[in-house]
Amino acid sequence: MIATTSIRFALLDEWTVSSLFRALFSRFGGDTTSLEEDAILRLVDAARAGDRAAGQCLYRQHVDRVFRVVRGISCSDADAEEVTQDTMLTVLTSLHRYEARTGTRFVAWVMTIAVNTARRRFRRRRPELTDPNDLPRIPDETADLERDADSEKKREALLRALAELDEREQEIVSLRYGSELDATEIARVLPLQPANVRKILERTRVRLGARIEALLNPNGGMS
Amino acid sequence: MNEIELAVTWATLEPTPRQRQRIEARVRRWLDARDSSLAAEWLGLLKVNPIAGLGFAAVAASLMLIATPLSWLAFSLV
Repeated sequence: MIATTSIRFALLDEWTVSSLFRALFSRFGGDTTSLEEDAILRLVDAARAGDRAAGQCLYRQHVDRVFRVVRGISCSDADAEEVTQDTMLTVLTSLHRYEARTGTRFVAWVMTIAVNTARRRFRRRRPELTDPNDLPRIPDETADLERDADSEKKREALLRALAELDEREQEIVSLRYGSELDATEIARVLPLQPANVRKILERTRVRLGARIEALLNPNGGMS
Repeated sequence: MNEIELAVTWATLEPTPRQRQRIEARVRRWLDARDSSLAAEWLGLLKVNPIAGLGFAAVAASLMLIATPLSWLAFSLV
């Protein structure tokens, strides 16, 4: 009985988060509506056959997700832009190498490319990053003007809290919240055991949440 | 902070319209360059700047015309 109830809650939670993601990202991400996996795979086939419109549609479906994930593991907007651009180029020019796998969506393959591209780029700089508080924060003036003050405050708190996590934790939470991957898909991207991913995800979510709240309310008051 | 609140906060990492434009412009430029042939590149150059483009084309063509027999002669002498 307890097990059934918890499964029901887990399913409900998963459904709620997934619909919330969809609502949020269609609100912030312009007019792109998320497509179902079948439609994505049809686009992949069409793009492989040389249909440019299908390639463009695949690009629009994934570019924001890639940026959200990459921004969570990079040090600046400029880095995130470059990694997103390189990732999308690799995706669009390597579609012939993609093989659909049961239980893993196309987006997981895209995120594998994104994480690998980001790792290659940032590994070269890693020795510079000694203290998380000294992480280079390169502001994008134009970006600041385009976001409202509340969003900017939350964004800064999130980025600061993320900078205090280790590389693996950053990747796991970024893949979960930036790209809506589930634990099994994240495990395939990184690669790790799904049980480990779940454990790290839960632990990191609690830490990250507490840190963001502390940063948003330094005096301990309610926002 | 629960899963939903964290998802809401994560939405602030969305790229801005300007960032989206920059990324798309770079990807498009790269893909167009990859897809276009050498002849298309030359035609594009002519479209942008017809006079200088024709000048470059003329210089390139005459260099090829002169260099080919000269290099043949040089190789035959060696």
